[in-house]
Amino acid sequence: MRTTRRQFFTLTGGALAAASLRLDVAPALAQAAPVKLGILAAKAGVLAPVGESGLRGVQWAAERINAAGGILGRKLELVIEEESSPKDTVERFRKLALHDKVDAVSGAISTGVGLALGPVAEEMKTIWLSWDATTQKGVEETMPKPKYSFRSTDNECEAVMASILTGRHWKGKFKTVAGINPDYSYGRDNWAAFLAIMKKYGMDVQVVSELWPKLGATDFTAHVAALAQAKPDLIFSCHWAGDTPIFMKQAHGAGLTKSTKFVLTTGGGVHESLKKEFTPEGAILGYNTFYFEHARASALAREFVRWHQEKFKEWPNYESDHGYFTIVAYKTAVERAARAAGSKWPSQDAIIQALEGVEAESLSGPRRYREDHIMEATFFQGITTHRNKAYDFVTIDPVETMTTRQIQKPSGVGLYDWINGWKV
Amino acid sequence: MLFLVAAGLQLVFGVQKILNLACGSFYALGAYAGVSAVTWALGHGLPAPLFVVALLAGGLALAVIGPPLERLLRTIDGRDESFQLLLTFALVLMLEDVIRFVWGPAPVQLRGAYLVYGQVTVAGSTVPVYNLFVIAAGGVIALGMGLLLTRTRFGRIVRATAENREVAAALGVDMRRVYRRVFTLGVALGTVGGALVIPATAAVSEMAIEVIVDAFAVVVIGGLGSMRGAFAGALIVGVLKAGAIATWPEVEMLAIYVVVIGVLVLRPAGLFAGATP
Amino acid sequence: MIARVAGAAAMLALLLAPVLASPYQLTLLLPAFAYAIALLGLNLLFGTTGLLSFGHALFVALGAYTAAWLTTRAGVLALEAIVLAAAALAAVIALPVGLLCVRYVKISFGMLTLAFGMLFYSFLYKFYLVTGGDEGIRVLRPRLLGQTFAGLDKVGFLTGPFYYYALALLVLAALVMRRIVRSPFGLSLRAIRENPDKAAFVGVSVRRYRFYAFMIAAVFGAVGGALLAVPTGLADPQLAYWTHSGNLVFMLLLGGFHHFLGPVVGAVVFIFLQDAVMSLTAYWRFVFGALLAVVVIFFPGGLLGLLARERPA
Repeated sequence: MRTTRRQFFTLTGGALAAASLRLDVAPALAQAAPVKLGILAAKAGVLAPVGESGLRGVQWAAERINAAGGILGRKLELVIEEESSPKDTVERFRKLALHDKVDAVSGAISTGVGLALGPVAEEMKTIWLSWDATTQKGVEETMPKPKYSFRSTDNECEAVMASILTGRHWKGKFKTVAGINPDYSYGRDNWAAFLAIMKKYGMDVQVVSELWPKLGATDFTAHVAALAQAKPDLIFSCHWAGDTPIFMKQAHGAGLTKSTKFVLTTGGGVHESLKKEFTPEGAILGYNTFYFEHARASALAREFVRWHQEKFKEWPNYESDHGYFTIVAYKTAVERAARAAGSKWPSQDAIIQALEGVEAESLSGPRRYREDHIMEATFFQGITTHRNKAYDFVTIDPVETMTTRQIQKPSGVGLYDWINGWKV
Repeated sequence: MLFLVAAGLQLVFGVQKILNLACGSFYALGAYAGVSAVTWALGHGLPAPLFVVALLAGGLALAVIGPPLERLLRTIDGRDESFQLLLTFALVLMLEDVIRFVWGPAPVQLRGAYLVYGQVTVAGSTVPVYNLFVIAAGGVIALGMGLLLTRTRFGRIVRATAENREVAAALGVDMRRVYRRVFTLGVALGTVGGALVIPATAAVSEMAIEVIVDAFAVVVIGGLGSMRGAFAGALIVGVLKAGAIATWPEVEMLAIYVVVIGVLVLRPAGLFAGATP
Repeated sequence: MIARVAGAAAMLALLLAPVLASPYQLTLLLPAFAYAIALLGLNLLFGTTGLLSFGHALFVALGAYTAAWLTTRAGVLALEAIVLAAAALAAVIALPVGLLCVRYVKISFGMLTLAFGMLFYSFLYKFYLVTGGDEGIRVLRPRLLGQTFAGLDKVGFLTGPFYYYALALLVLAALVMRRIVRSPFGLSLRAIRENPDKAAFVGVSVRRYRFYAFMIAAVFGAVGGALLAVPTGLADPQLAYWTHSGNLVFMLLLGGFHHFLGPVVGAVVFIFLQDAVMSLTAYWRFVFGALLAVVVIFFPGGLLGLLARERPA
């Protein structure tokens, strides 16, 4: 064992040296060598469906780009690794950067992983385009001025939009509220943002129950019983995973859906599982940044939805679009930087510079990265309806859209300072 | 439903002295199988109100994995118990991926079954009839297990084996057969439990490693190897959870472990030690 | 003799690794070293004393959170201070936990340690303000022996000074553990494993010795945890989850718990194997489960047991 291990090192060390040598002596081939993109997609546990969804968007983007000749003539090659615990994902990220020597990494959803990867991307000097996980802590405390990480939209955008819609539709029509949100930073931030906006709008709401089930819980009977006892006029929930339909099913079973108003900021993440049989009409439901059946959807979006439905027998959700955008944004930035560099493959610093402020066509319309590396996009929410013929799940009508310019805090301002500064 | 998982755990532990970490995996498998069975049956013209038949059949059918797994565990019979614990941990890892391979990573839910029997209002709160059915089923199974263990020949043999395996073997009991049956029964309790719970929830692959922790809590509170303890333990854990959520949600998970440790410290054999296994 | 030569060769390979191996392989060795330290402790419980803990991750997480609290919240960056604090905190926590746990053996001991591990997990998960909830707390880059190595980037830091620091700590931990195992105290622990009644009969205080072993294991676990958190840069609750404890036992078994160096071999092989298999298939948990089953059934002596061709005990 001992000797084999030493041999292993010598051997692999030698092989690696040879490999790097080969790259060094063949700069002429570099043009044709593929662009390597590392992908971190969750495959197990509560994050798995979302990781899968993001991966589909990425793969579709890569297929299209490659079919059209790649980026500056170089094909895209995806190196897919699993997003799991923060520790393991950090190791995967290092593998992508050090071992696979990828040009950039796209992916990651979990807030804990996002918090851990931010500094690692800087340390490894590797571009990281995150799909999700943009918490206040991650942005404000830990990574105030990142160079290599590009973040998704703020987690709280959906709560901000849903709260504005709540005020618009139901102001004066409810008094007591209850919150049931997944027990982690995302749930806590969204609930706090909701309450702050209610206050800002002069809605004198009274909190009768605050519940924090664990993310991915499968049994809500005790929570539903507590809610039934508290009898709130409105229930706010930012659940987004497979636990959402379970909660709604059990809430419906206990008769909560009859008279209570529901605000489900992110249920659209699992929209196909929100069956009509237990999801009421007239609730506010958010689809994050992609609504599969938008009347004004682009030809691109329609094509993707069709492909997705044919291939997976499912209607896509927002994470596909997050994933898709990271790839086309990278391509756009490389091309933009190349124009400045005389059509040569640009340096990483030039790509980073081009990514700042880059705008590209995503599935849900134009998106861009702000100069502070935060994504700008359009959000879709609306009032649930059962009046759709083709589906056994709820959809929304009318569909309301807001852009991050309306519902995302601007660069350099604290979330609550921003909300308190609104003129209403 | 926790009761069924815990009962399976108890039974196998009581008789074979194997602590099965994989009982949560059986629960998850049962849940997935229940969904598949019912969806298939409804698709083949089974009237909706009869879905429970398919559900139970799905759960029971999965018990076929009992004998081969028991055979696997028996390969290390006679070695330190710790190894059996580890082998069941290996099963946990493998079965989680088997589930992902067969059913995919997305949660799987059963459509149109939960409220087939309607809802009733009990003491001011609305309850789906199906919930009552599950509670009743739990009671019936508990009772059935009790009768099986105390009134039948098989039950007597099982209890004798639990008491003292050498003596039982000396008296001509075929140990292998008893073990195989007991283990399969334990698996079946888990899979049926998983199947029964599924109309009210959705099957997710990580339910296996989540439920095992609760099942342990139940077993410890009730006392290892005690069937009555499993029932009481499940009730205590359920009430504790509901109570914590209603009064102080922060301590929900914590409260259970505190009670578990408290019981282990004060009454290591469990609250119901000494009751009939 | 052969073992000694092999050991010396391995040590030489590890010393020269920063020259020979790629930076990525070096960053993989870091968690392996950290786990190896934690496993040395676990093996004192399992291999030497015969107690299987399913809650060792508690102490690993405790060490990681100590590093997080000290670097992020208290501004203490000296790794020596962090390691000592982790060891001290582990001892404080292990005192009551150990006193309760060592009253039991075998399965009951395993279950009780599992329960304590999960208790700590829920504490980390629920007490958001203290622990950062699910996101955990960042672990900042520490100072080693007063040096910041400001000229090196993080990879250079990890694969250079920190690598040798971790290796030195591992060697130190192994030497200390060897003293413990070979001392009369270690002999008594083995006597307890073989036959507690007999050990008690010849005057060994079984429970007290088990308790000492538990305390030492906890301290090793926390030191390993503190070291583990530095390359990750984050302490998060999953470190305390029961499946993590299960993985620790897995590593130990893989290496071989009869052997003093089994923990080291197990940690290194596990990490490199996980790295390879995870890249090959999304179903790496199945592969690992199967591997564990094979080890448990056919090679309970682990890799070192296999090499030494020992009969399983």
